[in-house]
Amino acid sequence: MSRVTRRLFWLIPLVLVPVPLLLNPYQQYVVNTALLYVPVGIGFNLVVGNLGLLAFSNVAYFGLGAYTSGVLMAHLGLPWWLTVIPAGMVGGVAGSIASIPALRGVRLFYLAIMTLAFGELMRWTYIRWEVLTGGSMGMAVPTASLFGWSLDTDRRRFYAFLAIVVLIVATTDRLLRSRFGRAFLAIKDNEIAAAAMGIPTDRYIVLAFAWGGAVVGLGGAMFAISVGHLSPISFDLTELIRQFAIIMVGGLGSLTGGIIGAVIITAAPQVFTSFPGFDELVFGLLIVLVILFLPRGLASLLARAHPAFADRYYRD
Amino acid sequence: MRITQAIIAVVAMAGLATAARADSTQGITASTIMIGNMGPFSGPQSTFTPLNYGPEAYFRYINEQGGVNGHKFVTVFADDSCNEAKGIAAAKKLIYEDKVFMIMANPCSGVAMAIKPMLVQEGVPWIGASANPKISRPASPGIFHSTYTGIESGRAMASFAMGKPGTTKIALAMHSDDWAHGYCDNATDYIKSHNGEIVATTALEHGATDGTAQALQIKASGAQAVMACLYQPELIVLLRELQKYQVDVIVLGALGADFDQVIQAFPNHDYLKQRFFQPYQFKAKIGTGPLKKFHDIFVKYLTKDELPKVGEPTNFYYFGVPAAIVTVEAFRRAGPNPTRESWEKAMESLKDFDTGVLADSETFGPDKHVGVEKMYAVGLSAQGQETVYKAWGDALPDTE
Amino acid sequence: MMLSLLPQLLVSGISSGMLYALIALSMTVVYRATTVVNFGHGDMVAAGAYAVFVFGLGFGFPFLVAMALAIAVLFLAGFATQRFLMQPIVAGPHLSLAMMALAVGYTIRGALRLEWGTETLNPSRPYPQDIYMFGNVVITTDDVVICGFVLLLLAALFLLLQVTPLGKVIQATFQSQRGAALVGINVPMFHALMWGGGAALGAIGGVMLSMITPLTPDLGQWTLVQGFAAMTLGGFGSLGGAVAGGILLGITEKLLGFYANTVFIEITGYLVPILVLLLRPQGLFGRRAIVRV
Repeated sequence: MSRVTRRLFWLIPLVLVPVPLLLNPYQQYVVNTALLYVPVGIGFNLVVGNLGLLAFSNVAYFGLGAYTSGVLMAHLGLPWWLTVIPAGMVGGVAGSIASIPALRGVRLFYLAIMTLAFGELMRWTYIRWEVLTGGSMGMAVPTASLFGWSLDTDRRRFYAFLAIVVLIVATTDRLLRSRFGRAFLAIKDNEIAAAAMGIPTDRYIVLAFAWGGAVVGLGGAMFAISVGHLSPISFDLTELIRQFAIIMVGGLGSLTGGIIGAVIITAAPQVFTSFPGFDELVFGLLIVLVILFLPRGLASLLARAHPAFADRYYRD
Repeated sequence: MRITQAIIAVVAMAGLATAARADSTQGITASTIMIGNMGPFSGPQSTFTPLNYGPEAYFRYINEQGGVNGHKFVTVFADDSCNEAKGIAAAKKLIYEDKVFMIMANPCSGVAMAIKPMLVQEGVPWIGASANPKISRPASPGIFHSTYTGIESGRAMASFAMGKPGTTKIALAMHSDDWAHGYCDNATDYIKSHNGEIVATTALEHGATDGTAQALQIKASGAQAVMACLYQPELIVLLRELQKYQVDVIVLGALGADFDQVIQAFPNHDYLKQRFFQPYQFKAKIGTGPLKKFHDIFVKYLTKDELPKVGEPTNFYYFGVPAAIVTVEAFRRAGPNPTRESWEKAMESLKDFDTGVLADSETFGPDKHVGVEKMYAVGLSAQGQETVYKAWGDALPDTE
Repeated sequence: MMLSLLPQLLVSGISSGMLYALIALSMTVVYRATTVVNFGHGDMVAAGAYAVFVFGLGFGFPFLVAMALAIAVLFLAGFATQRFLMQPIVAGPHLSLAMMALAVGYTIRGALRLEWGTETLNPSRPYPQDIYMFGNVVITTDDVVICGFVLLLLAALFLLLQVTPLGKVIQATFQSQRGAALVGINVPMFHALMWGGGAALGAIGGVMLSMITPLTPDLGQWTLVQGFAAMTLGGFGSLGGAVAGGILLGITEKLLGFYANTVFIEITGYLVPILVLLLRPQGLFGRRAIVRV
């Protein structure tokens, strides 16, 4: 893909800028939710897609990011923009911790069960650490502000979210195109061969987990102010299934896939909200069908349509 | 089939959108009033959705009578799965896209707390069945509880148990969620302020299949009564364990379980007699006396999918209904051209209004947005008959 | 008072543990045969319990007939899941396999919820519930039935694997899939049969569960987590280990809950796999779970 074509991608956020003028608050909220799930999908995809490790602790980073932001705002009175970086850092640290079993050589389903357990332990912690989190009753998140500018409407939050998401997409894109991305690919293809070639696999594994966790933590900070009320039930196994759906439907190991998945998985349930009870059934069927007939997700359709969308840094 | 229903609903909504608006209040036209009916239609809390179907049945019944002052009720359902993020999306859809007059049912406290600021800001009324008393206390404009919150139910649980002479040592068995705290925290407040003592606090989580450790801890604590703030499956699990270890306590369930269904889970009722009670919301036994009318309304106006697959309409159908009854009554009082202001005024004018369902009559005021207070208790008599009690040992006569 | 309850806690722990063991066993069968962990297994467990309810109350079959029919239906469901949904993607990434299983389960749960989501069902036991006292230890008929059934199944499985010619085929395929294919064993068919077997065992677990707890679409979720923990504790893929792991987990849960705090019961199933995989990755009886790079 030529450099010029890639530059064209920068037009996409510019096109999005006037969009809020066309939307009612409900549609704007759905768009915001889709936006905040973009980093969640990207971070998750980095570890399970690009690195190929079955780490199921994504909801833990998401929740920790959200609670970090919420707690700093509610207890210390910090403005939201000051809590965004700490939320990312906490997510990153949690990611590094979750990589410990992987470094010890735990792989496949063993790693899956262990990281799943880590995520659930975090949820238990939110319930029990009542002083900080409000326990199971949840906590109200104060109105956010950005450099003194109040983020009290969905439209205002949209611009803050858009800026953060563009930054995340751009940096992650750079990361995947650098030697880091090539190292991830090498580890995914054949870890032992990668180590034999002198790639410090441990270091790259920690890096992928930490970057993934940080990015997801940022998504959590956005979630905190978008919903405005945090409670442990938002970070349960159903949430994990939703985040899985994002990367499976979007496309494993694909940056574009993470973005498409976030949009589809946020928008799809809105169609069913007026059809009581169909939510789970339709959701399950959607994932089944995508895995069967589009194993590389919707992103592969785009790649087929135009080579500019193809991923250079992922192979099955 | 639900699909056909959904299609009909969509067509009806499209028709409404083209109808001329009678006045400025959102969701009210010359001939219709739009109601947003929100609840956990999917997810593990979906056992609460009879709270959504109860009021819906009543609106269909009223519509068949010709509606209120020429207005018929049109319901839009929305699924929140008891999840805040999803609940906010569902509420925003109802408010900004379906443009409903009010939001109803909404059994999930977390969701209700999350959407409350938006409701107040947008001036969309809410009458819900969620247990968290903070939603309607202190009174916010348009936010009403026509049924009992955790405060009334928690107090009723504690006061009934402590009404048994000599009962002061009490144990808690609860889920770790906002719903259970709504009941158990308020029961605890009552117990402590009446010289009672909490001798054990045990957690029994949603989905647990065993309560051995909890039952034995309760036994070891020497408790005389247990406040069981548990959903139905876990309440049954705990009762079975208490029975197994012959723990001599009285057990007060919360409103998350259906008394009849709990009793049915026990082929032999001996252990439950004069031992297992629940706070009781209604003025008579379910489906009997004044409640028979509502039984017939449910069976006539709800579809097969909305009714239980097995057995008669349960407690939650009746418990959902008062929200619709007071809404209809307030519209009746607000006259032929209701607005949000006149409806709210009419709501606050309700004094000693008998819903025909609840044990207490509804009284609202500008500072009082929870309509009912007095509750009964239901349990099995020494003879094994389902009996409604005003207080310990004070049975309400049967109305049949 | 506190210590005198220890025997009771142990007995109850074994009883719960037997259920966990049954679920762990049914997942181990699938894992040993296909090296895939069925993350949707909990929903097959629930589906089994609902199937018995439908055949029993809906169609009026006697309990044992209803149970046999339910086991057959779940066997077919497991078989079909592997044949038509897992087999086509078996060459794909592991994550797709895990997600497919999860999504199938989620679909099943959604279907159950659509039909029975608004109510809690109370299937009646086909036997009278009695209480037996041994000193100060209480045992119910439920305990006896569950333990007896699981032990019976274990014995049957053991005989099947060790004595029958079919067992030799299964063992051979457990050992080496390629080798089995070379000597003419239809490995994809074998996989599908094992999925069916796993689902059928899960259905039995579901029926046992619905004896002690009311029936909801989420019936299998709690036990699924305990099943994972039991599998990890016993060493992934070891049939005997799964049973031992389940029993140990059941006992741990009771002791931790009673002597420490009941809030720990919920997380026993999460703490155990983390500790086991960090301290002794091969579990109690299994092979090493870690890869050295």
